[in-house]
Amino acid sequence: MGFLTYLRRDLEQIFFKDRDPHAIPSMDGAFSPNDRLDHLAPIGEPLIGADAAAVAPDGTVSVSAENKIWQLSGDGYQHRALLTEFDSNIGALAYGPDGQLVVCTARGIAKLDAAGRITKLLTEAEGQPLRCLTAIAVAPDGAIFVCDGSTRHSAEDWCVDLMERNQLGRIIACGPALDNARVLLRDLNYPAGLAIADDRFWFTESFAHRLSRAPIVGRGAIGTPQIVIRNLPGYPSRLTATGSAGFWLSLFAVRTHLVEFVLREDDFSKEMMLTIPRDYWVAPALTSGRDCLEPLQVGALRALGVEKPWAPPRSYGLAARLDANGDVVESLHSRVGGRYHGITAAVATPQGVILVSKGAGRLLLHRTELQQ
Amino acid sequence: MSTTALQAPSRRPLRLPSSWSPRLFLSELLLKQWFEPIIPFTVMIGLLLYFSLTIKDYASIANAVSLMRLFAEFGFVALGMAFSLISGGIDLSVGANFALCNFAALFFLFVLGFPAWLVVLATLATGALVGAGNGILIGYLKARPFLTTLVTLIILRAGVNLLNERFATVFATNSIDSDAWDFLGEGSILGVPVNAATLIVVLFIGHIFLSRSRYGWHLTAIGASRKAARHAGIRVERMLLATYMLSGILCAAGGIFYAARQGSTDSTTGVGWEFQALTAVIIGGASVAGGRGTVWRAMIGAIIIFVMTNGLVRIGIPGYITSAITGVILLIAIGIDVKWAKNRGKVIQKIYVNPAVLPLSPVASIKRGSSSPYAQNDRLVGAEALGLDLVEGPEDVILDRHDRLYGSTRDGNIIRLSGERFETREVFAHIGGRPYGMQFDKDENLIVCVGGMGVYGVKPSGEVFKVTDETGRTWTKLNDDSRVRMADDLDIAPDGKIYFSDCTTRYEASNYPLEIVEGRPNGRVLCYDPKTRTTSKVIKSFYFPNGICTAHDGRSIFIASTTDCRIYRYWLEGPNRGSTEILIDEIPGHPDNINRASDGNYWLALVGIRTPSFDLSMRKAAFRRRMAKQVPLDEWLGPNLNYGCVAKFDDAGNILETYWDPTGVSHASVTSMREHKGYLYLGGLENNRIGRIKIDGADPTWTGYEAYWGNKRRA
Repeated sequence: MGFLTYLRRDLEQIFFKDRDPHAIPSMDGAFSPNDRLDHLAPIGEPLIGADAAAVAPDGTVSVSAENKIWQLSGDGYQHRALLTEFDSNIGALAYGPDGQLVVCTARGIAKLDAAGRITKLLTEAEGQPLRCLTAIAVAPDGAIFVCDGSTRHSAEDWCVDLMERNQLGRIIACGPALDNARVLLRDLNYPAGLAIADDRFWFTESFAHRLSRAPIVGRGAIGTPQIVIRNLPGYPSRLTATGSAGFWLSLFAVRTHLVEFVLREDDFSKEMMLTIPRDYWVAPALTSGRDCLEPLQVGALRALGVEKPWAPPRSYGLAARLDANGDVVESLHSRVGGRYHGITAAVATPQGVILVSKGAGRLLLHRTELQQ
Repeated sequence: MSTTALQAPSRRPLRLPSSWSPRLFLSELLLKQWFEPIIPFTVMIGLLLYFSLTIKDYASIANAVSLMRLFAEFGFVALGMAFSLISGGIDLSVGANFALCNFAALFFLFVLGFPAWLVVLATLATGALVGAGNGILIGYLKARPFLTTLVTLIILRAGVNLLNERFATVFATNSIDSDAWDFLGEGSILGVPVNAATLIVVLFIGHIFLSRSRYGWHLTAIGASRKAARHAGIRVERMLLATYMLSGILCAAGGIFYAARQGSTDSTTGVGWEFQALTAVIIGGASVAGGRGTVWRAMIGAIIIFVMTNGLVRIGIPGYITSAITGVILLIAIGIDVKWAKNRGKVIQKIYVNPAVLPLSPVASIKRGSSSPYAQNDRLVGAEALGLDLVEGPEDVILDRHDRLYGSTRDGNIIRLSGERFETREVFAHIGGRPYGMQFDKDENLIVCVGGMGVYGVKPSGEVFKVTDETGRTWTKLNDDSRVRMADDLDIAPDGKIYFSDCTTRYEASNYPLEIVEGRPNGRVLCYDPKTRTTSKVIKSFYFPNGICTAHDGRSIFIASTTDCRIYRYWLEGPNRGSTEILIDEIPGHPDNINRASDGNYWLALVGIRTPSFDLSMRKAAFRRRMAKQVPLDEWLGPNLNYGCVAKFDDAGNILETYWDPTGVSHASVTSMREHKGYLYLGGLENNRIGRIKIDGADPTWTGYEAYWGNKRRA
């Protein structure tokens, strides 16, 4: 990237200053920082690699963690039983109206029977394999929607996809029997969450920091999407509709000026990707502070032994509740120095909201006032 | 990486790089007060050159003398305008006042028949009186300067015209035979016309008044903020009255010389001079908002206006076009003045940090269980916490002969901990600044490096004395580097000389991360000689010199470079005397203090661990430069100073062992360590405690003081 690129960017900033700036919005209003996540009670022992959760029609909760699916039940979901085990990592999961579990695997969408055996597997859509499935939702009519984050990288390599600034995400729909797979939207900026509520289809694009929605116009078909939240302070991922109108949105990390800057620096980010192990990149992470080789920002220097909660975060815990219009109503945070970072799923259950902290390998139960 | 790669590299003397770049030069140039008038000064020279080339005989002595004679009166008037503008007001009545004083001088001379000296005094008094009128209205009655002096202008102008009509014939028909008066009009001093010579003297006095005297500072302070000046106890009313009187007196001086030179008066005398003077002063860089401007800059502006008007007339351009040009120039100058005054600080802030390429050596492995001497372990994890919350960021710790432990706090106290478990805290001394490295001299005085102040000493009684806070200035550098900005660590050679590091000459101690990110050799190593009581530079430019330690034999000193991540050795004696060499390279962290160990080796603290991302950024100067501009300081990619370790090395530069706390919880930063009677004490710039571990097999009687000045010396 040469001098002219920078000049062009500078000139654009001068002449088109009203163009969507995409500057990081400050965390205020409903996003005001707090420590609510840190004060939640974890469910049971740590569950390394916990990623996503879904509520079964009978009220139990299935959680994916690495290559296993666990079934949680009982008061406070303290009882944990292994449902099934795969040969590769499992991501998002959802129950269909028929009570069957649909899961995203590294090879495609799998439909499981009650015993956890794969009955069907969909591995590609319109000729391209499904390798980066990030979220799944089943409509009341049985149509299955999935997010394919990138056609180039797998879900574990999301950070590479971010640094390459790809826009290779797709949203795919298929029938209840994993038939008739079609690409509804393509060239998205890492779609990582979707939900269906009131005949409307909502989805997030992580690396574009936005939430959009589109009307459902028939089985497995949607209209033109429109943006609901243009610029979030973090990287939105999974979205789940709650029973009463509204959503829970998990944001797996928050944006920092430094990462946004590095994303503009082609030369630096290229060399970083080539020469530095991924754990030490200047990039958002699900967890941090465990290795002295991680990058450090000046504001994160400890002062008199204290890790400042407002320091620029490499990893962060954040989940937000949205109302039926998509406006953020409240949020739960775990700031710098907090315990539960990297929230990858927030699911409303009969006993409360289960938050999955992939960074800490923990499940948290947030009992709302009504349920207490 | 194998340990063989860690063997000390070749010992050839090193040429250390200096810290010069055009960008750096420009940013420091913009900071200079004297650089501000550079544009008007260039314009002035350019104009003079242009007219010398286009007008015949322009560049001759005769022409210069005649120009000076013509200019001087306008110079006085412009100076009066400058003072009123710097005081935050404006004096539009200068032109009319000048005309009145011109009339008054002739009136006193011809009508009242005063002698020349009395004419001068009376005319100056007339000008002062008019100024006092303005000053009372503006200072005491708080009238707006613009309107007040505009009214004065109108009244005076009308009055002068009336008086002119009445007395014009009287002046024209009278003549007086006075040598003194003729000298004022025609005379010269050393070839310089008398009016210009007077102006030059007045300029010198005015400059000293404005920049060196209390009243000059008061005047500038009022201009910068009248309210703040009042709160600071400045007598605003009185100063403003004096300022406008001064302006009036300067106009009167111009009027006297004009009267002596022309001997007549008419309705055009001084018309429009107020605007020419205003243009001149603003072109010279005085701010319309007040509080900014100097005598010289006002004069540069006045010369530009005078030379341009005069030159254009001589070229043959009509006067009204010249006026229009002056107006356009005024407009441009005011525009630039407003923009520049507002944005200068921002521009400097944006370009002051000037990162340079600093390719760091490859890094030795810290992988746990590897064969590298830096392999991580848990030997510091169980360190005891002494003085928990009794100290605040003890950058260095030291123990005296009575086993008392010294640390420091951020607010400039030296804390002494004593007792069985060091539970008794007392403030040993208050120095101020930010105390860093410490060492006992032979007389048991505690010598302390104090960030922001210099090197200070504390006698055993607790009395504080200054050792040194300055050295000679480097005349090739724009930044004044005579002050010691961030004395960091020191050690004392057997001959009593104090060697200490001054980390940076470009930043303040509190901003040390900026210095590391800049990655330039802005620091230096200094030496205080107690015999001559002078401080000299040992190494003139060095990458963030930090820890300093004299070798056990006293023949060399070790210098830790925090940004360069190396340990250097500087020879005090022997065949390589005066040369520097790399002792330890490929250090996986940022080295801090170095101290002696009881077994003849040395302790080294690593204040942070090198991260691959920061190393990469150090190779990319443009990346860091853009980061400094686009990203707020708290969000910069910095060195990871949240983890540290202690290492031990021998005289040949081999790392022998390391002590780690990979969690970084209890001792987040390790900036120093001190061995004392079989224990190792740990200090940290951002710690709230002093750590202690027992060292296996260390001499239980060894103390630092004995190793330097007593029976444990190894020389």
